[in-house]
Amino acid sequence: MIGLLLYLLVGAGLLVFLWLLARRKGAPVEGCGRQFVEARQALRTLQLGLLPENLIERIFDREDFRYVMAASPANIREFFLRERKRISLMWVRRVRCEIRNLMQFHLGYSRLHAKLSLLAEIRLALDFGLLLLACRALRILLYMRGPYGAGAVVGVLTAAAGRVCAASEKSLAFLNPPALESFRRDSAGDGATI
Amino acid sequence: MEVLAAADDLRRRTLVDMTQPLERLIYLASTRDYNTGLYYHHGLALRFSEEAACEALADCHREAFDELVSASLEELVHELEAYLQSTRVASGDFIVAWKGLEPYRVAVPVGVDSLSSELVFSNLKVALAILEARLIGRM
Repeated sequence: MIGLLLYLLVGAGLLVFLWLLARRKGAPVEGCGRQFVEARQALRTLQLGLLPENLIERIFDREDFRYVMAASPANIREFFLRERKRISLMWVRRVRCEIRNLMQFHLGYSRLHAKLSLLAEIRLALDFGLLLLACRALRILLYMRGPYGAGAVVGVLTAAAGRVCAASEKSLAFLNPPALESFRRDSAGDGATI
Repeated sequence: MEVLAAADDLRRRTLVDMTQPLERLIYLASTRDYNTGLYYHHGLALRFSEEAACEALADCHREAFDELVSASLEELVHELEAYLQSTRVASGDFIVAWKGLEPYRVAVPVGVDSLSSELVFSNLKVALAILEARLIGRM
């Protein structure tokens, strides 16, 4: 009797599993142009607005810290640290938001267009996980130790963000304006000229 | 090509004496119409076209802003002091006006990332506080 019940339970479990698999929807192909444009925008914001080396150097620059600590009264020192903390938190928030946008895009749509290998997808998933974790850790560190106590995590975050941007760039490469040279090369065989 | 020539002309004639990016930023922002966002410079528009002059002014404006983003706090304090001297306004009045009105907020070029502009505003506020403390110390 107990054996029969076990078989019935396993059978019911399998049925539920099959039902869930059947319900799972793939990413809709139609109307996904907007998601591509939004992902492109997120990528541009990361590459040009949030991850340029000189901007990150400026936000977390220790020279500014030394300068203010050496030559300013206590109230200005506090004001400076408060301002840098505010800016660095703003930076982490923005990076996290754009990374999440890119992650949504990769989860839903990029597999339709990019020929990513399984290994590349696993690596990308790990990078996204690492990035979100680094963002969380950095926010906690910034709250607790201020903008000058989190240098290593900033390095990890920017390196992982760079890798994710490079992978996303590949997935979105088809949105770039086509190179005229390739047209010229391709059309030469047919005798057409551009 | 005309835009490049106009920008070069602008750098060689009008901006040549403005060595500090802050001074250039404020000046170039003042050539922009608040209602249309278009830049206008009479002399430049006469020598080139109005469109080329507008583009050239916008390019130089962005360039000055980028220089400010890259400037250290120490450099910003020097720039602010040099700008204060160039305006020939009483330093107390200048500090009060800049702290109250924050005129640099309207001097940002269109299209720059909000984080860069927030960083510049924040640095200018700190630089202003340092300069104020120094000026009080000199009295």
